[in-house]
Amino acid sequence: MDKVLRGRVDQACRTAEEFTKLYYESVDKRRHLISRLYLENALLTWNGNGISTSEKIQKFYIDLPSSDHSIITLDSQPILDSAVNGQLTFLIQVSGNVKYQDKIPKSFQQNFVITAQGDKWKIVNDCFRLQEPLNVSEPK
Amino acid sequence: MPKPQGKKNWKNQYFEHDFRSENTRRVTFKSNKQGRFDRNHKDWTESIRAHLADEDIDMGNTNMKNIPNKKFMKKYRSDSPMPHMKGNFKRKLLEGPIGWYRVTLPYGNKYDKQYILKTFLDKLNPLPFQPITWQVNGNACTFYVDDYKVAEKLNNMDKDIQLPDGYRLLIKVSTGCPTVDVNAAMKEKMKLAMVKRYSSITKALDLTRFHADPDLTLLFCALFKPIILLAVIDIIAENIPDIEAINLSENKIQMLSHLKRLANKLPKLKVLHLGNNKIRDVAHLDSLMGLNIVDLVLDGNPLCDKFKDQPTYISEVRKRFPKVMKLDGTDLPPPISFDISEEVSIPQSQQTFLCTAEGQSIVRQFLEQYFQIMDSDNRQPLLNAYHENAILSMTMCYPYGQHQKNSSWLNWYGTDNRNLLRVSDSERRYKLLKQGQLSIASFLQEMPRTKHDIHSFTVDLNLFTPQMLLLSVSGMFKELNSGHKTAPLRYFFRTLVIVPAGSGFCIVNEEVHITNATDEQAKQAFKTPVVLAPVPPAAVPDIVAPAAAAPNDEVKAQMVQAMAQQSGMNATWSEKCLAESEWDFQRALFVFSQLQEKGVIPPEANKFYIILPKYSAGSFR
Repeated sequence: MDKVLRGRVDQACRTAEEFTKLYYESVDKRRHLISRLYLENALLTWNGNGISTSEKIQKFYIDLPSSDHSIITLDSQPILDSAVNGQLTFLIQVSGNVKYQDKIPKSFQQNFVITAQGDKWKIVNDCFRLQEPLNVSEPK
Repeated sequence: MPKPQGKKNWKNQYFEHDFRSENTRRVTFKSNKQGRFDRNHKDWTESIRAHLADEDIDMGNTNMKNIPNKKFMKKYRSDSPMPHMKGNFKRKLLEGPIGWYRVTLPYGNKYDKQYILKTFLDKLNPLPFQPITWQVNGNACTFYVDDYKVAEKLNNMDKDIQLPDGYRLLIKVSTGCPTVDVNAAMKEKMKLAMVKRYSSITKALDLTRFHADPDLTLLFCALFKPIILLAVIDIIAENIPDIEAINLSENKIQMLSHLKRLANKLPKLKVLHLGNNKIRDVAHLDSLMGLNIVDLVLDGNPLCDKFKDQPTYISEVRKRFPKVMKLDGTDLPPPISFDISEEVSIPQSQQTFLCTAEGQSIVRQFLEQYFQIMDSDNRQPLLNAYHENAILSMTMCYPYGQHQKNSSWLNWYGTDNRNLLRVSDSERRYKLLKQGQLSIASFLQEMPRTKHDIHSFTVDLNLFTPQMLLLSVSGMFKELNSGHKTAPLRYFFRTLVIVPAGSGFCIVNEEVHITNATDEQAKQAFKTPVVLAPVPPAAVPDIVAPAAAAPNDEVKAQMVQAMAQQSGMNATWSEKCLAESEWDFQRALFVFSQLQEKGVIPPEANKFYIILPKYSAGSFR
């Protein structure tokens, strides 16, 4: 059992490294291809705004101002079988800085749930938060 | 031959004794002609030297200046009374680079200040005369003027003014300014002067010739000094952060490099007047980039003379401030740009996202319970919030713009930082995972004590199925008792994978990220008064009178919460226990401990369970 878990932890780490590299390159430079990274019914939660289906996620990214991400920390774990019925799934968490157009960079945190779909990793869930004060006018 | 007193500082000399009364002539064997020639020569050299020495802006120490003179003072005995100085030759004052002049009246303090001021005012008319930082040192008094013409005229008045006691007034003028240090009292005075100059209707602050403000003339509040200008900007940022216009004209400002963070501090600033300062190059404005300036005045700065034509000037300005529509008071034609919708805005953020409204009460209860225990003295009950095989890991970093040296150190979190970009060894990557509820609970117990600001939380419920919940939570907390002088304000971002267990839930995977709150976030931290959790009744056993009447629902709810906290049981079981003890808290606790001893508390009562509505099949996405 321990050996199985170890193998998965290793895999989770390596996959996370590869995945984040690809993901942020896509967001910053190849947004028109970003939908390929998501499951068809994936959900993106961007600063509290939910966007679901890969098609709408792609549109959302194309409308977003151009970005430049730099990653500072990365963490990854295999999700326990009891939660995902044995389906190979990883939980990835990232933090770093992002610059929109020529604005001053801001810190952000983001997490992903990625799952093996045939021979491809796909994003089930993508949750992004800028580290900024809450909008004062917001609670309605 | 008398020994020349070359070493003596003239300032101290005046301080000690009034040498003007010593009429003893010194005998000299030098011919008059020779002496006169030398004097001419000397005066010219000295003025250059004085000027060079004064180039050093922060030169408060006059001794330094006189040392280089020592050599030729000896030679020409410049401090001998020079009885044959009939021509009244005056040293020419050169215009200094900083635009400030120090005026010393070596015996000025022997006369009435008002009398001297009035005399100067009359003599200088029509030039305006306003002495800044009038200081007295023994017999001497010193002040500063900000106008070369005034300084030059004062210089020429040396020994011209006949004083009531028969002496002529000595006036020494040189370029220079005092060293300054900003303290709290000075800041307070500056603040008061600024209040007077601020218009809340137009959100405009007029700081023209700030040093000459009648309330500040005793201080040296010259904005060309970075320390003063920064203090002023800090006062603005603290008190009127939504300011829209600042006028900094006529302040002899040269440097702007220390204003790099102005765009952050005053995001709404639109009008900036910097006219008649000493900004030498348009590149100096680079540090102000990022400000959305619409109306800019630069006229009267040396940088303006460097442009051959107006269009180059405008384009250089617009390169830095693309939105400028008014430059030096003239309206500019709107710039022609390409049609790329450049103002794409970022979608507005929402504090919470719930993939299904059904999850709301569960999430809220879960988080309230979790962070209440997290903030308590004993985090042991969190053990029950985790699955027996749960995994937890942590990463940390500093937010953008902060690092170890300029913010509160995140030292505690360094050891367990499982940042895969830094930790490449697979063995270590594995070891940094906290596995199993015991090792997670002990890790949480070791973490510094905290106080979370629940109003700062953002919550994203991303997945809610009968099998699992995916939850992301972020927010601010104060770190207590960790050896910092003031409790550091941190920011966390946690991702939790939660599964149903028994009648409640537990965490199977968790990733924690810890960083510092940004300055902007800090302004909002702990602003909303937190509704305090009920204080658990004192555990001191006392003779309990039978409850007169059953408590109302609100009190009951508080008791359930307190019971849950003390016993580690969930709310349902706590309520059950209290109800069976007729809502007598001490009795209920006693019953609980009896049952616990007997080992009859069912395991599900001890889990981190929350009351949850029954799943209705098919309602999940």
